[in-house]
Amino acid sequence: MNLLDGFGMDTITMAGSLEAKLSAMKDAGFSQVMLMARDLVSHPGGVPAAVEAVQSSGLRPTGFQVLRDFEGLSGHLHAYKVDIARSMLEMCAATGSQVLLACSSTSRHATDDLDHIARDLKKLAMMALPLGIKVAFEGLSWGRTVNQFTTAWDVVCRADCPNLGIGLDSFHIFAANTPLEAVDDLDPSKIFLVQLSDFMWNETPTFEDRMTTARTFRVFPGEGVHSEALADLVLRLDRIGYRGDYSFEVFNDDYQQLPLATVAERARKSATWLHDRVLHRSAPLPAWTLKRAPL
Amino acid sequence: MTLLSTHRESVPEMPNRLALEGIEFIEYATSRPQALGQVLENMGFRPVARHRSREVTLYRQGGMNLVVNASPDDARVSATADGEAVISAVAFRVRDALQAHTRCMELGAWNVSSQAQAMELHIPAIHGPGASRFYFVDRWQEFSIYDIDFKPIPTVDPHPQAIAGMRYFGVVQYIGAGRSTDWLAYFEHMFDFSLVPDDQRFGILPKGKLMKSPCGQFLWQLIEPDPWMDADESPERLQRIGLGAANVSAAVTALKARGVEFVESTRLHPEDRGALTRSALGSVSFELVHQDP
Repeated sequence: MNLLDGFGMDTITMAGSLEAKLSAMKDAGFSQVMLMARDLVSHPGGVPAAVEAVQSSGLRPTGFQVLRDFEGLSGHLHAYKVDIARSMLEMCAATGSQVLLACSSTSRHATDDLDHIARDLKKLAMMALPLGIKVAFEGLSWGRTVNQFTTAWDVVCRADCPNLGIGLDSFHIFAANTPLEAVDDLDPSKIFLVQLSDFMWNETPTFEDRMTTARTFRVFPGEGVHSEALADLVLRLDRIGYRGDYSFEVFNDDYQQLPLATVAERARKSATWLHDRVLHRSAPLPAWTLKRAPL
Repeated sequence: MTLLSTHRESVPEMPNRLALEGIEFIEYATSRPQALGQVLENMGFRPVARHRSREVTLYRQGGMNLVVNASPDDARVSATADGEAVISAVAFRVRDALQAHTRCMELGAWNVSSQAQAMELHIPAIHGPGASRFYFVDRWQEFSIYDIDFKPIPTVDPHPQAIAGMRYFGVVQYIGAGRSTDWLAYFEHMFDFSLVPDDQRFGILPKGKLMKSPCGQFLWQLIEPDPWMDADESPERLQRIGLGAANVSAAVTALKARGVEFVESTRLHPEDRGALTRSALGSVSFELVHQDP
């Protein structure tokens, strides 16, 4: 048990080898890591060596990302994406991740029929189920049909499958200007992942603005101009009973050229801000108090 | 709103979209087929045929077919290093195997590629829990699949009678903590199984969640580890077979006479409702359950 439990970094935030990233996170005090498929396949020793690195780091995988553009397709496009999804699920299972992140489709070949989308996601969830994996469906703020978490939630409800839930990403919520009151209508047991990040612009009106900012200039919670809204989001989630993980989904070109320890330290400050200032969580008890009393 | 509402009593529909019709066979994988064969023979199963190309033996009693797969690949995949036997497959009888397989694949099942050799049957299959598989068999009425892939063992009665009229009653599946709702959804969605209310139980081991096949011919029980079993992270698996018998006491007596031992403790012991055989080879036990003829 430590102060940072419940918060984790994403491998996408830092440059360098997988081992270096894992080690920097661990040194900063984190106990979990959100894995990106690319980290595994680009490992010089291949996927098995990457899996070994994750396991020997002792960090718990928060989840595995990211399956894109899965839902709403038909014919050979659907069959192709099902194959891709199966390969992603196999990697996800190999790392011991229990959550696969699936982002809403941006494809103009995909249907906008929400029932069709729900049916496809249920299929994905069924594929994941025997592997013990949950699917977190997240609305990208530039998604073609699903671009707000409220629509993602609608689809998840339509699919009605226990291992299909919603993934929330503060960036997309703020970029799309979705009212935070809608969080109160979510079922906390169906929120499988919450990704947090902030950014420096007040407005991102176009899809292009959102994409560029999302991919190059996100910052850690508390570092941007949406800190108040982000605190509000986290408190609302806490109030409805969400007790799951928060991972820092921070794509930032600057962080990609800074020493890993520097970036991990910023993440640590952010987690501490959330823990102390936002959630007002009590400090954990010292380790000796957790020892069992002799029988 | 229509005047002719048909939903007033909310009579549940019991669809059976695969046209399931019971269990055709259950398969064990093991690297110690002789030892398992002995356990099965004690339980009344008789070896009746051997596979043409692989190290696979068909055992039978009454209407129950049980396959022992010691083919090196399958035994390696399914069985643990010390040779413990595991239930590696359940074959469902369906109206159309290809259709059933196609439907399950469309719903998100994982395909198992066929190992059929020349002139052997290709039995479509999907992955089940853990390392197990579900097969779909449609040729069980007009002729027997075993006539094609198996050679009968000479001088053996191909249709030995079942002890005390035993028949397949169900399968017990061990699942991970908190996984009941997942697996209930899986079996409902894939095979149209339906949940049996918690106050309705059979036999002497009522734990977990119980489902009924849409054909009504067998049950499927899901058992999670108890909350205090922190360390139980063993893989999900098909744990044991349930055998139905009209007269459990008679079955127990007959099986005891053949050397089968039963769990006999104050809490768990043979009674009219059911009985549990002691584990043999570390993992193989059978549960007897009272079932009206």
